[in-house]
Amino acid sequence: MSKKLFPTQEIGSLKKPSQLLKLVKDPDVSNEIKAKKRNDAALLNIRTLEDLGLDIIYDGEVRRVEMYEEPVRYIEGFDFAGKVRSWDNKYYNKARITSPVNYKNNFHENEFKFVKQNAKKEIKVPVTGAYTLADWSYNEHYKSKEDLVIALAKKVLRPLIKDLVKLGAKIIQIDEPAGTSHPSEMDIFRESINESVKGVNAKIVVHACFSGNDYKVLAPQMSEIKAQQYTLEFANRDTWNLGTSDKARKGFHVLKLFREHGFKGEIGIGVTDVHVDDIESPELVRDRILYAAKALGDPTKIYVNPDCGLRTRTRTVAFDKINSLVKGAELARQKLK
Amino acid sequence: MISSYTLGIYPRSEELIEATRKNTSNLSSLFLSETKDYISLQKKAKLGYVCDPLLQWDDIFRPFAKLKSVKFAALNRNYEMNTFYRKLSFENKITGEGNIVKTNVASTLLPKNRAVCIPEPYTFAERHLSSKHKTKDEFVIDLAKMLRKEALSLVKAGFKLIQLVGPSIAYNINKVDLDLVKDGLDILTRDVKAKTVLHFYFGDVSKKIERLLDLPVSGLGFDPITTPINAIKKHSFSGKSLAIGLVNSYTTQVENKKKCISEINQLVSKTRPKEVFVTTNFDLEYLPKEFARKKILVLGEISKGVKNV
Repeated sequence: MSKKLFPTQEIGSLKKPSQLLKLVKDPDVSNEIKAKKRNDAALLNIRTLEDLGLDIIYDGEVRRVEMYEEPVRYIEGFDFAGKVRSWDNKYYNKARITSPVNYKNNFHENEFKFVKQNAKKEIKVPVTGAYTLADWSYNEHYKSKEDLVIALAKKVLRPLIKDLVKLGAKIIQIDEPAGTSHPSEMDIFRESINESVKGVNAKIVVHACFSGNDYKVLAPQMSEIKAQQYTLEFANRDTWNLGTSDKARKGFHVLKLFREHGFKGEIGIGVTDVHVDDIESPELVRDRILYAAKALGDPTKIYVNPDCGLRTRTRTVAFDKINSLVKGAELARQKLK
Repeated sequence: MISSYTLGIYPRSEELIEATRKNTSNLSSLFLSETKDYISLQKKAKLGYVCDPLLQWDDIFRPFAKLKSVKFAALNRNYEMNTFYRKLSFENKITGEGNIVKTNVASTLLPKNRAVCIPEPYTFAERHLSSKHKTKDEFVIDLAKMLRKEALSLVKAGFKLIQLVGPSIAYNINKVDLDLVKDGLDILTRDVKAKTVLHFYFGDVSKKIERLLDLPVSGLGFDPITTPINAIKKHSFSGKSLAIGLVNSYTTQVENKKKCISEINQLVSKTRPKEVFVTTNFDLEYLPKEFARKKILVLGEISKGVKNV
């Protein structure tokens, strides 16, 4: 594990190169060439993230269709129903659960093996969590949402994570963008993570997106969830002013609440907003880190990452943001020397 | 009297999604043909009121971005759903002329028994931003004045029923200022010669139904997934219409007609409303097109099966 202060990490997907997208859809291109091009794209992401200076990396999820559709394709019990809007003309392929859910095989195996073989830095494998898979689907089989979530946790997530650990995965990030979106279901969310990681010998990271409640519903659950780290969004509601005052760093206030609830684990703080093209300066990143370290009360518990996956930004913008993030983390380290 | 209608935005077909993404040359004709198809389906299902499927609306507020001094702000989550809408920022006093909705619905394709859906003022203010209005009350009232002009011009365009969607009232029911909601609706519905039905979804309004019955609208609409039917049954709707969203836009499972018909008959016998509308609980766009079509047909069948009041 990284020992230096404020380790830096990516936490989600990157935009896929347009040439790759065209090629994988082309029926005239052979599967061998498609596989080679996917490897090339994964390698490009791995090298780029490493060269930018991140301490913990993956492959930008370049082989995955999308975080929901990819696992659903390989889990027994799901049938795709069709496209449903996320926003504007952005849609996702939503599935129905029509029979008991079951794990068939490790659908991230080839991807993980390739990253492990090629990465020089620590790697963290993202997997889509049980709660989000249930929340984003139509349940036609289980009596309740809770039954579905727990079935997914026990019968799909747990064996998947165990298989990844068998292959050598040491850090698993459970992606739960829906995790805090239903305040009344936080107990189900907690149990979904705890059931997913039962008997797993790896560092568990939980990534939850901002859901309008500022993680206030997550705070009381954090110590009860068997995760060592949470990677969360902060930058998207923070100011762009420099400084470490409460006023300048209003997006990070909730860290104090985590502390009040006795949370003693790590937080991967989002220091770059993934919804805008403006690039945060290294100095702004530095100030966000320094404020977060003080608010949480222990700088060794702070990891540094973008708010979420950067796939909605161009690759140039995404890499500029990561570059700034790495530089800002270094400035923060120097400040605390 | 029993009638029926759907609520809000319908789903685009995969072909239309792709054409919109690529901005293909046949995009306009595709929008038109799918709109006609959905209108025909509502007629085939014999729904009491027929709606434009609002296929070109990216969200229920989006046409209002055409008002003067409105800018786009951040994407925001739609309550607890996995859908997002674009926040609008009002930078000046709202000066609508009442032609926003009218010019964004296909009135000429609709039959005489036409209905239309617009947000009610409190929900509109709660979901958006204003740098001009000093208080939320001012913002709500200013929006209500703008929406009133919309409602009046929709009546002129032949709309017989205006659905006012109020999910923010339901979602925030324990902290909402119902006097402010009433003030906004007073302005909006004044002299509007059409039926106005205020719809609640995304929150349980059970405990406030008596207060809601005082609101200046022709009827109230409920989503039985969040507001249990047993809670609605406890109230008398004498003089008010009751809309019940028994067709669930959030599940692919098609409703059991017999069960729905029985539930409505029991509800009607207890509440004695002036008029009953069987509806979807909210926008059909939460379903893929194939399933939305099934829901429209079952809505018609349920409506036909319900006894007259």
